Amino acid sequence: MDIFTRNFRRRSVLGGAAAVAAGSLIYPARGTFAASETPVKIGMVDPQTGTYAALGASEITGARLALDQVNKAGGILGRPVELLVEDSAADPGLAVTKARKLVNSDKVNFLMGSVSSAVSLSLNQAAEELKTLYLDTGGHTDQVTGTQCRWTTFRTCSTTWMLTAGNFRTLFDKFGKSWYFITPDYAYGHSLQKDYASQLAKAGGKVLGNALTPLGTTDFSSYLIRARAAKPDVLVNLTAGNDLVNSMKQATQFGLEKDMTIAGALIELEDLAALPKEARLGWWVMEWWWDQPNQPHVADFVATYKTMAGGKVPSGRSWFGFASLHALALAANKAKALDTMSVVKAMEGLALPPEVALQPNNPFYRAADHQLIANEFPGYVLSNGTYPDLFHVANIVPGSTIALSPAEDGCKMTYPT
Amino acid sequence: MSVETEARPRSRAGLALPGDEKLRFAIFAVLLLAAPFWLPLVGSYTDLGTRVLVYALAAMGLNLLLGFTGGLSFGHAAYFGLGAYGTGLMLRYVGPNMWLAVLAGVLLGGVAATLLGPLVMKRRGIYFAMITIAFGQMFYFIAVRWNNFTGGEDGLTGFQREPLALPGGAIHLTTVPFYYFVLAFFAVGAFVLWWVLNSPLGHAMVGARENARRLEFLGVRVERLTWIAFAISGFVTALAGSMSALLNNFTSPLDLYWQLSGYFVIICVLGGMRNFWGPFLGAAIYVLMQDYASSVTKNWLSVIGLMFILVVLFFPRGLLGVLARRRSA
Repeated sequence: MDIFTRNFRRRSVLGGAAAVAAGSLIYPARGTFAASETPVKIGMVDPQTGTYAALGASEITGARLALDQVNKAGGILGRPVELLVEDSAADPGLAVTKARKLVNSDKVNFLMGSVSSAVSLSLNQAAEELKTLYLDTGGHTDQVTGTQCRWTTFRTCSTTWMLTAGNFRTLFDKFGKSWYFITPDYAYGHSLQKDYASQLAKAGGKVLGNALTPLGTTDFSSYLIRARAAKPDVLVNLTAGNDLVNSMKQATQFGLEKDMTIAGALIELEDLAALPKEARLGWWVMEWWWDQPNQPHVADFVATYKTMAGGKVPSGRSWFGFASLHALALAANKAKALDTMSVVKAMEGLALPPEVALQPNNPFYRAADHQLIANEFPGYVLSNGTYPDLFHVANIVPGSTIALSPAEDGCKMTYPT
Repeated sequence: MSVETEARPRSRAGLALPGDEKLRFAIFAVLLLAAPFWLPLVGSYTDLGTRVLVYALAAMGLNLLLGFTGGLSFGHAAYFGLGAYGTGLMLRYVGPNMWLAVLAGVLLGGVAATLLGPLVMKRRGIYFAMITIAFGQMFYFIAVRWNNFTGGEDGLTGFQREPLALPGGAIHLTTVPFYYFVLAFFAVGAFVLWWVLNSPLGHAMVGARENARRLEFLGVRVERLTWIAFAISGFVTALAGSMSALLNNFTSPLDLYWQLSGYFVIICVLGGMRNFWGPFLGAAIYVLMQDYASSVTKNWLSVIGLMFILVVLFFPRGLLGVLARRRSA
């Protein structure tokens, strides 16, 4: 009998001890709130381990910075705000478990987070089940605010369509109309290529060909030789992570950048900083950039962030976390309520004030599909740059000029009756 | 492999149920049945209990092969994931029938294991482990590449638990009813494993682990035994996968990935792979760690890794194995 009771007692002791420790780790609410005020809780599910840990860390730091500001400004409905962070390890199944835990056991009022599309899709579905507002910070797949849009889900980062449309015009007008693609052979790569190709066809350009590369390819030489033989104006490289490092290194060894423009869709500051010097080149899209000298509040944000993050400058991911937490507080304060339906309604059409938007053109959450219509920052990588001056923004493209309309992206929003 | 060369003849530790074992089992069963009531009291929640059951069933399925037959499979996530995809695809494309969905998952994973068994059973030791990884990754890449059917990298969405059709009417599987739904299937899976292990077939499997050559001299076809163990193990793990898809209302290629196979092995070793309930204890520790420790520190995997190293170094029979031996000593 002893072994079973012992191991169950052990479980509860373990759980209890860990719960106490977890309680002390929740980011302390600051400000001048009466001790009797119960906090409003925001649950954040984001990768802290695994492939996307660095991107997750930026989102979390951004959200914490916003949390400080919100609490100093009086919190939500005069109550302090607490942020509870859970590790998703970029695993959609685990993310759903954590979301349920946050809602059912920690009783959070809102959910936010995610770096990868798969996690966003799974949380998108779980949040509707839990009847809790979920603000997708960083999973890009079109479906989240497209064919699978749900009344409980909003999104701060761009759609994949907006990423490609972000620099399509720039590339097409500047460098020419015949393009060749290096496409990683999975859903994300295919959908990016499809988006570029359809814009290219509409503009009167031509796809000369594409090389499908399996994930984890180390030797890209055969693909690069084919690309060179095709003699395109623009070589679009859609790989990511280690594949990006390897393909870019080899492309420079081949000297391809002398014969054609190398370009791609999304690039992130974290990834760029991790690239070896010889792989830093080409035209890409950032979703937010820290160096906007003419934009008020940006310099303050960068300075505060740097002190919080040990000298790191904020990336697009940091801004997603920052803007998302602010957006939830703004919407709840506007609704003067915390129930999901009221806050959803308040968030529809919500425009971010300049000190939160930190970019021009008044970004807002579009009511019809819950997508934030913000800007894209296309530009090129500074090959001889040093951190954080690694990227030059060529121009700022307003999201309203490139986002698909809700009818085009396939979102049919239905609300519970 | 140490698993196979172990000479100590303790073949049936923890299998039969004499005397006080019965009482112990009864307490265990009552605790499981009452879990939705006591879990919230100790600061936990029902879904966590469901998750323990899912991982425990998967690991117990694997353990028939790993702990009792002596085959180190590093590819059991494949059958877990196939179970999940079978169930998800059935609900998504065919119809909202839970029984059919579970059946589809179990058959998809189980039949795949049965068909691959003949290719696996001839290998020994490290080659056995490698070929199981290879088959596992094969299914992973199929799920990633077959975008328009499986949802590819993004995972399979668009299905959810449906009301369960029973003779007395339909039950809505909200959190607590779903726990009992999973517990029922867990009981079926565990009973099948227990029954196999207590049959002559199960004794032969343990014999194969202890001394395969001797068993062959006695006229037992060890390869066929391995095949049967592999197939049964695949069916049980697929059942766990099917439950996992219903728990999350979601499945993704990560459910087929080698990393998950590795976690199943860790769960078995941690809890004690020579003990029938060892993987259950291992799964409880793993899930609790994943849930609580990961809220506290992002280095929760290091904690599990450290525990794994300590267990391998100091308690090679796993935590439950140590407790059981101390009791019998």
